[in-house]
Amino acid sequence: MGSNASIMLQQEDLQNICQQTGFTAKQVQRLYSRFKTLDKRDCGFLTREDLLCIPEVNINPLGERLIDVIMDDYGENNKINFKQFIFLLAKFRRGRVKSSTTEFNTRDSKLRFLFDMYDRNHDMKIDREELLQVLKMMVGGNIHDDQIATIADHTIGELDSDGDKSITFEEFCKTLERIDADDKMSMKFLS
Amino acid sequence: MATTVQIFTIIGILCTPMISIAALVLTLAALNLSLGVRSLYVKLLGLVFDYATKIKQDKELSNDPDVSTDESSSVPSHTTKSTKTSAPPIVEKSDDDPIEITSQTPLISDSSRKIDDEDKSQELITTDQDQKVTRSSSQSDIQFKLGDIMHFTRQGLEAIVDDEVTKRFTSAEEMAVWNLLTRTQQQHEYFSARITLLWFLGFCVRYFLLFPFRLCLFILAILWMLGSAVFLKYFPKRDAKLRYGFYINIVLHRILSRVFSAIITYHNTEYRAKCGSICVANHTSPIDVIILSTDNSFSMIGQKHGGFFGMVQRTLSNTANHIWFERSETKDRHMVAEKMREHIKVENNLPILIFPEGTCINNTSVMMFKKGCFEITEAPIYPVAIKYDNRFGDAFWNSTKHDLFQYLILMMTSWAIVVDVYYLPPMTIEKDETSIDFARRVKAAIAKQGGFVDLEWDGGLKRALPKADFKAEEQRKFYEMLKTE
Repeated sequence: MGSNASIMLQQEDLQNICQQTGFTAKQVQRLYSRFKTLDKRDCGFLTREDLLCIPEVNINPLGERLIDVIMDDYGENNKINFKQFIFLLAKFRRGRVKSSTTEFNTRDSKLRFLFDMYDRNHDMKIDREELLQVLKMMVGGNIHDDQIATIADHTIGELDSDGDKSITFEEFCKTLERIDADDKMSMKFLS
Repeated sequence: MATTVQIFTIIGILCTPMISIAALVLTLAALNLSLGVRSLYVKLLGLVFDYATKIKQDKELSNDPDVSTDESSSVPSHTTKSTKTSAPPIVEKSDDDPIEITSQTPLISDSSRKIDDEDKSQELITTDQDQKVTRSSSQSDIQFKLGDIMHFTRQGLEAIVDDEVTKRFTSAEEMAVWNLLTRTQQQHEYFSARITLLWFLGFCVRYFLLFPFRLCLFILAILWMLGSAVFLKYFPKRDAKLRYGFYINIVLHRILSRVFSAIITYHNTEYRAKCGSICVANHTSPIDVIILSTDNSFSMIGQKHGGFFGMVQRTLSNTANHIWFERSETKDRHMVAEKMREHIKVENNLPILIFPEGTCINNTSVMMFKKGCFEITEAPIYPVAIKYDNRFGDAFWNSTKHDLFQYLILMMTSWAIVVDVYYLPPMTIEKDETSIDFARRVKAAIAKQGGFVDLEWDGGLKRALPKADFKAEEQRKFYEMLKTE
């Protein structure tokens, strides 16, 4: 006999998670199965290395930044357990029209996540430095540093409406209004 | 003494069934006949599994009435040897990009377009350097928007939820029909007393009935191997090795296949690999060699091991010409190719069996083929697709989880190994085709036949991280996308 995981998904936990996140039981179980696959050492949590091991994340230019956001904002001590993992993913669950939105997968929370990808010092502003960092990660050696700086300045100049040389969350949301961020960042979880 | 005679008679009586079974198995193996016991056994098992699954589903329905009843109709009937279809992805991948205006295929989910040739990506980076210098003056060409990160963020999240590579290195996901092996269940839940009883019976049958029997057969196989090696060593005729080695090998592997209760179906046997050729197959487990060798004899190629396995290698070398390398020589690709060419030149040398993936994959996909053996243009390549049916035993060897010994025990205590072997028509490299393209072509043919997903990812990713070139390539593609706006 013997299940190979040291932690099992208890029935009450499962119901709790389903209620709060809006996932169905099957979806949660599949995600749990995925969590266990990633948790190679079977310790009940994922570390940065576990996530970086995924080749498609590893080669993603923003892969490390994404993992930073996940670990710092959703996990603790560089670890993320299954509950935290699934609450994170709940943000991106595509909800159907008739309010299967829970408090998690609102448009606002998605935009907030994207904002956090830039804003790592959590001062609610994207300043020039933070913008430069992200740009550099995305284009690598293909654009000269000077040109990257110019692009950053140009972007801030365009979007900064209150003159503080940085982009606040409101300005950020405003510029993403035309693009349907909610739709683009929603994932359809299959069961 | 009378008592000794009595003792010997008793031992003789006890041993007779064992010896007669051994003789029976040997005869069947030699003549390539089958009593049909295994097929019957598998059919019976199929019935039992369907029954168990029905109980499970009834229980599930009573627990959670919202579960759709489509599940019950998806139970495969035991008469069809249906191969398990791979589980649907956990999340639907995005295939459009919010800011693109070109018809760019998604960067990450479309992994089959990956460039894995080091030289090629190197070249790309140098040309970009040149371009960079000339473009530095035209700054307004690049239009960047804050929302551009959605592209990578989304793909990163999707990859975390479900990626093409990690899931190839673990046993394939839960099946619709449970086969009464706890090792295949992600979570053991207590469903009903009946199922637990069935499971317990199954456990007893597998560990206390089947396993000892299989162990005896295994010993028989080892004896045969040693016996035939001794026989050939001292046989006067020089070419005996090549003439008799073929049949001896096949008999050995047929006995071994009975050790795992393997039920093998061959397709297109007219394309069986001939002498002086190279046979290429997808790799799922060490048992692949046994499966293929029940129908044809091969020369194996590999590293010299020590210990038990080394002894096996040396013994096998008595019955056929295998190519074994010292550990240090394996890195030297030219030497390897040379030895292979020498082997092929000798007439009547058996075809060489190679698994170009280099590592075991879980039989749902075919990963990158290493180009080494495809560079040997003198020999035709005979591709073979090996497709396992997981219902009676998962043959995949997860070498990070189990070592070889544990794996063999697991195999010997599974129900059976049911496998389809598809021989494919021989392929040779075309004019102006690089060995890499040729390798891809062969891989695509095998993937198509076996119903596998064709991936360009390297099987080495099981243990190693991707090269930095790939990220650089993603960055370059993003840059290109920015430029075209």
